[in-house]
Amino acid sequence: MSTNLLPKWLLYAILALLWWGVFGFLGKVGSDRISPSQMQFFFTIGMLPVAFACACRLKFKIASNKRGVSYSLLMGILAALGSLAFFAALKIGRASLIAPATSLYPALTVALAVLFLRERLNKVQILGLFAALASIVILSQ
Amino acid sequence: MTGWLWLALIAVVLWGVVGLLQKVTTNHISADAVLIWDRIGYVVVLPFLLIGFRLSQLGTRDIVIGTLDGVANSLGALCLYKSLQSGAQASIAVPLTALYPLITVVLAVAFLGERLDRLHWFGVILALVASVLMSIESPHQSQAQAEA
Repeated sequence: MSTNLLPKWLLYAILALLWWGVFGFLGKVGSDRISPSQMQFFFTIGMLPVAFACACRLKFKIASNKRGVSYSLLMGILAALGSLAFFAALKIGRASLIAPATSLYPALTVALAVLFLRERLNKVQILGLFAALASIVILSQ
Repeated sequence: MTGWLWLALIAVVLWGVVGLLQKVTTNHISADAVLIWDRIGYVVVLPFLLIGFRLSQLGTRDIVIGTLDGVANSLGALCLYKSLQSGAQASIAVPLTALYPLITVVLAVAFLGERLDRLHWFGVILALVASVLMSIESPHQSQAQAEA
């Protein structure tokens, strides 16, 4: 693909969107066949090569700030439990409803950011929040 | 109410908290380092997943699909990171990547024979619009994050 037609950042952003789309799809294909915890196990194994490549690039100087490290570890544990629930949902429901429904997690992030980081929502985000609530009700019908 | 909804809501809550932590964490360590340490967090959970199953019970196909799912997820994260590094404005790249469920929907309809009625299609589109709208941050918010 020519980089003249497509700026590099846009190409990467589109690739990110495609890979995550495939993640939802393969999650369904796998969850139909094996248990959520089995799925989560191999899912984690598959993540490691990319993390290892990043660690190599940083020459393994990755331990920096105590607070940063503990937050990141906690992020990983919570995200892992989240994908476990995602695979369990995919086992019993349609990927075409569950992928859009679970992608609404920023609704909680923006709400928590208002509470804990004292962020103020702009009008567009408030509109998005209402759309998220409405869509989850519709998807669950 | 559908059975999957509760599980999906658990994922939303956990991932929502992860999103909040992410905002704070990158003020302390680099995005590279976050990507590595958070994967170590995933590994912490691994031993608990092994309870009650033996690898010999699984077929090669199951193992390959599960592993590829992890590869796809990580590559997605890496590509977003690369995009931001190659000069993308977060206010454009992040809402764009929020459209990923559309790809899942298309693949599930095309290859898994999933069918949606009109109401559900409306719900899917509304969810996509919602994700994009929520990820549009105004400049003062990025400022607040930098100070948090």
